[in-house]
Amino acid sequence: MTQVTAASKDLAACHVCCKLASSELHHCPRCGAAMHLRKRDSIQRTLALLVTACLLYIPANLYPIMITDQLGQSEGSTILGGVILLIHHGAVPVALVIFLFSVMVPIGKLLSMFYLVWTVKRHSRVTPRQRTVMYQITEFVGKWSMVDVFVVAILVALVHLGGILGIRPGIAALSFAGVVIVTMIAAESFDPRLIWDEMEEQDRGS
Amino acid sequence: MAAEQANISQGRSISGIWIIPLLALALGAYMVVHTWMTEGPEIEIAFKNASGLEQGKTKVKYRNVEMGLVESVRLNDDLDGVIATIKMEHQAIPLLVKDTQFWVVTARVGLGNISGLDTLLSGAYIQIEPGERDVGERHFVALERPPQTPAGAPGLRLKLTSENTSSVGVGDGVLYNGFRVGRIESMVFDPNDRLAHYELFIDAPYHTLVDSQSRFWDASGISLSAGADGIKLDTGSVDTILLGGVSFGLPPGISKGEPVASDTEFKLYDSYDDILKNPYRYGLYYTTSFSQSIKGLQSGAPVEYRGLPIGRVERVMLKEGLQNSIKTGTEGSGTAIPVLIYLEPGRIGLPDQPQSVEYLKKSIEKGVTLGMRASLETGNLLSGSKLISINYFKDVEPASVGELLDYTFIPSIETGLGQIEQKLNAVLDKINKLPLEDTLGEANTAIASLNATLASLNLVLESESTQELPEQLDKTLQDLQGTLKGFSPDSEVYQSIQSSLLRLNRTLGNMESLTRTLSGQPNAAILPSDPVPDPIPEVSK
Repeated sequence: MTQVTAASKDLAACHVCCKLASSELHHCPRCGAAMHLRKRDSIQRTLALLVTACLLYIPANLYPIMITDQLGQSEGSTILGGVILLIHHGAVPVALVIFLFSVMVPIGKLLSMFYLVWTVKRHSRVTPRQRTVMYQITEFVGKWSMVDVFVVAILVALVHLGGILGIRPGIAALSFAGVVIVTMIAAESFDPRLIWDEMEEQDRGS
Repeated sequence: MAAEQANISQGRSISGIWIIPLLALALGAYMVVHTWMTEGPEIEIAFKNASGLEQGKTKVKYRNVEMGLVESVRLNDDLDGVIATIKMEHQAIPLLVKDTQFWVVTARVGLGNISGLDTLLSGAYIQIEPGERDVGERHFVALERPPQTPAGAPGLRLKLTSENTSSVGVGDGVLYNGFRVGRIESMVFDPNDRLAHYELFIDAPYHTLVDSQSRFWDASGISLSAGADGIKLDTGSVDTILLGGVSFGLPPGISKGEPVASDTEFKLYDSYDDILKNPYRYGLYYTTSFSQSIKGLQSGAPVEYRGLPIGRVERVMLKEGLQNSIKTGTEGSGTAIPVLIYLEPGRIGLPDQPQSVEYLKKSIEKGVTLGMRASLETGNLLSGSKLISINYFKDVEPASVGELLDYTFIPSIETGLGQIEQKLNAVLDKINKLPLEDTLGEANTAIASLNATLASLNLVLESESTQELPEQLDKTLQDLQGTLKGFSPDSEVYQSIQSSLLRLNRTLGNMESLTRTLSGQPNAAILPSDPVPDPIPEVSK
């Protein structure tokens, strides 16, 4: 299957206004933004941000995400600790939701992004369509993994009963927000067209 | 347009984006290092039980500042206690020294005070009281209850021992003339010496009131006594009636002693009356033993030295004596009965201090070699009560102090009625031993032979010749009378003898003048005598 791509016609799309212009141009003739054939240093940026996310993910899980001050006694709870506590209390569906969005989704995102970067780097030609779907899901789900941070933020704002009961965010809340933000930027900086470029070159070559 | 053509070079240059993960890494590394650097030590504290200790919740506080958190609570290896592992703060390191004390603060409601109410809401916490030593320590044993006195508080810590666990308890006051100057810090009953051991703390500046002559007595409760002079009620303050307490002071007649050091041990008397009965603290136990009857010798009987009371009889050690004789295999041989006596140097005017005891000890040791002996004497002839007297005796077998039943032994001597009794016994024994039987037998035979002699004498007397003897005697006497009549003054014989004697007298007179002449002039019988010229007196030159 041979397709005509912009790149094959020496055309590049503006990152900002999506105007197709000659790839030889440095700036978009319409909006004046910098023009590149592909996103600049896409692989490196994505990888760097992924590594950052991985680093941030460590304190996010080790430190308490939420500190409950109850009658002068403070008790911190980590993400996994909270999940286990909820299961013990019988709130399995809530536990599952939190586990899904706070543990499964960030890890899944990180792993899928690493896989995509790795395959592009290897010039792999395996199932580009599936990889594109994977990228789309990752990008979509990324917005929703902030659930945990939102929960904490709302609880901190709502529960504030002086010395009797109070909730404070822990270090993990910040780290976890960092993980989500950095992975979102990583997903954004990844250029999915790189998945297909290999196929183009193959087609052109054949 | 060649010049404007983008120079597309897929340079493998490292993107600046890598700063972000490096930054994250640096931040993480900083956090790790910082945590590691400021990480406090992990300590272990042994508790009797985990009451109030909650994993991850119970805090360690010093001056109400959080200094650590209980990380885990587990049983110890012997399963007889719990060990709490505690993560301490970095700044707590100087507090963790060898004599640092830990205890659990919970709400305590006592008769005297209520404390730790805040822990009802916040839960128990562990309190640190830092020690003063410089040696760091990571393993501690928690106190069972809060110390009554903070470490390093000025004052004096003393020890008390009591023979019976009285109503004095931990936290009770120590009173001086009814004023609270300290408190009981701990109480332990030791089953080995069967004494209750108290630790008390006298706050500064009242600790100067305690000296070596101070006496401590149990001031708890109410003492009620009825006597001839009415009913007497003794109480301390209302505090001590309800809570108990210890009072101290000087007994009457005893002068102030030396200041005492920390941890000096004192005896806790049961009551003030007890002190009045036994005002002396230092004394010595001795044993002595008696072979004579100790009937009437009772515990508490006086021991006197030349009539001065110097101690008392503690008890008759009959049981120990028997055991000792069984041990040494001399049972049944009439071993002397040991008696334990207690001598107090204070009673004879020596200062009531350990040196006096030493002095007494030496004096007795020397005295015994010089004839000092204990003897049993009757104190009261009517009741027969006895006392022990210590005195010097002459003509005693030399002896020295020995050891009997773990006490120094003073040899004894039998005197008084006992001695008389014994001497009488000895006399009777001697009389008993006389060979009366033999003597009587001999006398019997002598009498028998006398009898025979008398019988034969009778025979002689009964014979006719013997019967005639008086008549013959009569005749002889008549003859003698006739003879004597011839010499009477009227008779011729008497006259002639009389004239012969007169003549003899005259002859003797002549003889006398002759002998006088002869003695003056021996040659007078031969030569005619010359007249002697009269002596002429001369003038002395």
